[in-house]
Amino acid sequence: MEDLKSLGLSDEELFSRIDHSLLESERITAPRYSYWRSVFRVFFRRKLNIVVLSILALVIFMAYVYPTIFGYDQFSNLNDATTKHLSPAAALQRFGPSIRWILGTGSSGNSTFDAVWFGSRISITLAMICTVINMSIGVLVGAIWGFSKKVDIVMIEVRNIIGNVPGVLLISVLVMLFSPSFWTLIFAMTITGWLGVASFIRTQVIIIRDREYNLASKCLGTSTLRIAIKNILPFMTSVIVTLMATEIPSYIGSEVFLSYIGLGISEMSLGKLITENQSAMFVPGWQLEFWSPVFVSSIITIVLFVVGQNLGDASDPRTHM
Amino acid sequence: MGKYVVKRLVHGLISVVIVIIVVMLLVYGLMNREQIFAEDQNYTRTALNEREVYKYQRWEEFGYVDYVPYSDYLSDLVRSGELDSATRDEVVQIARKAENDEANVAEYVEKFTQYYESQGYTVKRLDAKMDGRKVKTGGRQQLYAYRDRPLLTRALTYFLSVFKVDNIHSVKDDVGERGLTFTWYDPVYGGEKFSPAIIGNGTQHKYLLYFDSNFPFFHQNFLTIQLGKSYTVSRGIDVFDTMTRSQGSFVQSSITFPSGLTELSADDLHSAVYSSGSRASNPVLDARFVDDYANVDTNKNGFSKTGYSFIIGILSTIGAYILGLPLGIAMSRNKDGWFDKLGTIYIIFITSVPSLGYIFMFRAIGSATGLPYEFKMDNPSAAMYVLPIVSLMLPSVGNLMKWMRRYMIDQMNSDYVKFARSGGLSEGEIFYKHIMKNAAIPITHGIPGSLLFAMTGSLITERVYSVPGAGKLLTDSISKYDNGVIVGVTLFFALLSVIAAIMGDVLMAVVDPRINFTNKAR
Repeated sequence: MEDLKSLGLSDEELFSRIDHSLLESERITAPRYSYWRSVFRVFFRRKLNIVVLSILALVIFMAYVYPTIFGYDQFSNLNDATTKHLSPAAALQRFGPSIRWILGTGSSGNSTFDAVWFGSRISITLAMICTVINMSIGVLVGAIWGFSKKVDIVMIEVRNIIGNVPGVLLISVLVMLFSPSFWTLIFAMTITGWLGVASFIRTQVIIIRDREYNLASKCLGTSTLRIAIKNILPFMTSVIVTLMATEIPSYIGSEVFLSYIGLGISEMSLGKLITENQSAMFVPGWQLEFWSPVFVSSIITIVLFVVGQNLGDASDPRTHM
Repeated sequence: MGKYVVKRLVHGLISVVIVIIVVMLLVYGLMNREQIFAEDQNYTRTALNEREVYKYQRWEEFGYVDYVPYSDYLSDLVRSGELDSATRDEVVQIARKAENDEANVAEYVEKFTQYYESQGYTVKRLDAKMDGRKVKTGGRQQLYAYRDRPLLTRALTYFLSVFKVDNIHSVKDDVGERGLTFTWYDPVYGGEKFSPAIIGNGTQHKYLLYFDSNFPFFHQNFLTIQLGKSYTVSRGIDVFDTMTRSQGSFVQSSITFPSGLTELSADDLHSAVYSSGSRASNPVLDARFVDDYANVDTNKNGFSKTGYSFIIGILSTIGAYILGLPLGIAMSRNKDGWFDKLGTIYIIFITSVPSLGYIFMFRAIGSATGLPYEFKMDNPSAAMYVLPIVSLMLPSVGNLMKWMRRYMIDQMNSDYVKFARSGGLSEGEIFYKHIMKNAAIPITHGIPGSLLFAMTGSLITERVYSVPGAGKLLTDSISKYDNGVIVGVTLFFALLSVIAAIMGDVLMAVVDPRINFTNKAR
């Protein structure tokens, strides 16, 4: 002040008068916050996520685009005995240099590389569809289950009963009733699969249902539906995404398991590929036929898991600081 | 607490009953019953009417239907004295066509039809299939009644037959004086060695109480558990026996049979069960035994199916806790450090890679180091257990690490930790005396479950290492339509999970005095 005074200016020149404005006083000066933009900002801040995401993009490209462009016929070399069980080097020599033969050939002279990606498409699609169905039913039912005490009593019993019916039995009965097709397996895996999701969501809902801010909101007269959608759902986003991260790989894993015990689908999925090539593991020189689908399924599940986990972390608003 | 446990137990048992009913509905109601003939040689060999009858006979064995042929009905009448056997022989001959029946035959056919139709059966008469004047092969006329076994009757009879109490009126034949005798000197050991036993006559088992050198040394046969009879996987044997009976090759020793004959044999005389007319039909048994308690089990050198699964399961569970918990704790202490990152990589690997993949991977690694990767019952060694145990342990280690780390980190941020720190406690003290105790509480909940479920075995591990365990019992029975086994195994699993849940809650309440189930103030 002393310095300004020394400049010899008058009060009018030093201060300007601003009138009181109702509109201005209502404005919030904090920077604009967009939830999803923050999620992606946090997500891409980690270098690892970019790497993993690009692997995921590559996997999806190989599983969905590559087979449609180049086509895959498992039995094209069926009658040529010289093409069966070739090592990568022998296959490259036999068919000429092409990415298709870098993993050698399988039991019917088919390209192992193509078979793996063709199988990946079926497995990933199966896992995705199962996850979408189970998650949407599970989250919806779980939310109602968590909110209503009457529903809770009924649903706990339902869970105790259905949880004790062996899943393998249920799936095999359904597979036997219908044909062992892609959609039958989806039906079998989702008919009780949502229950686990719902019960998980129910626990989460119960934990935050009675928090103070929800009680306050209720006191102010907010309807239950609005509390569910506006107060609880945003809180649940990260939980749901994290859950999804474990769900998708788990379906790929169970598909492999079901194929192994002979309940798989008729299409050449990854699980079926692994099961059929099991014996190749014990023949020297044929091991690649077994390890390739195992390796690719591991890559797919790990990548999906890591992306999902980190997306789940990023979608927790508390990490947006 | 006791009251609470009883309440939970009753609740659990009710849901087990419902589970069994649901499973029965699935197995007997929904599964296509024609499927059981898919690989049946006898079915393809029979034709026409005989095939029809054969179908119903098999379905009765598998438990789908109640089936009564006309001749059985007549035999029942003879047994109850309503009919003499001469008339029976006369009226059992039904004509090739219904309208050609003689008067007395028609009368009994009518009786048969009325009696069973009133009980909800469907009575079916198949006229003879003729080829000119000759009857075609398998084309003989047939008369029978059948009905689908009603679900509730089925469930009720099943549950009533689970526990079977042996009594001195079990055997229907004439066995002389019925009764129980107690002896201090077990005759199996020559009647001189001190070994108390109770021997029954008229009971199903000969030895109702005895001691021997096998675990648990003291055995009783008063109460036997029957979970369900097998028809295809192991014909005529109860699931409970399939699970608990020892396997492997015979262990022979010099045995003195009741008749005084001493022979090299693997028979376990303590397991003698009454088998009607066994001595009359088998001269070997006649030379060995003095009564018809001649159906004996054999001593074998291996463990039972459940035994193998349990050894592998329990060791891997214990190993998993010993390894997993300290590793999880170390990860949380080293949060965001290199060890935490390494552990996280392991957890991600083990939870996301299909189990088939890593089990084969460990098998490949294991066999490269020279460990046996195949289970040999006849040539047992401790080394053959290593790979199955490790394969089974790895995922549980990952799981325990994950949860222990999570619980520890959650506790680290709570207020009491800040308070303890402000009070001047050392970090080690806070960590091991306060945080760890609280973080261990949710972990204890899972301990009874993982110990109990060690018994059920694991499918993939056992198959990959060819362990003769109980893991494949359920899938095998499903693929072979062994309905009794499916229901039995489900009952066993369901009971285990009910007990595990209750024990987990009780253990948690024991460990943490703050948890109290008796008066929930909610």
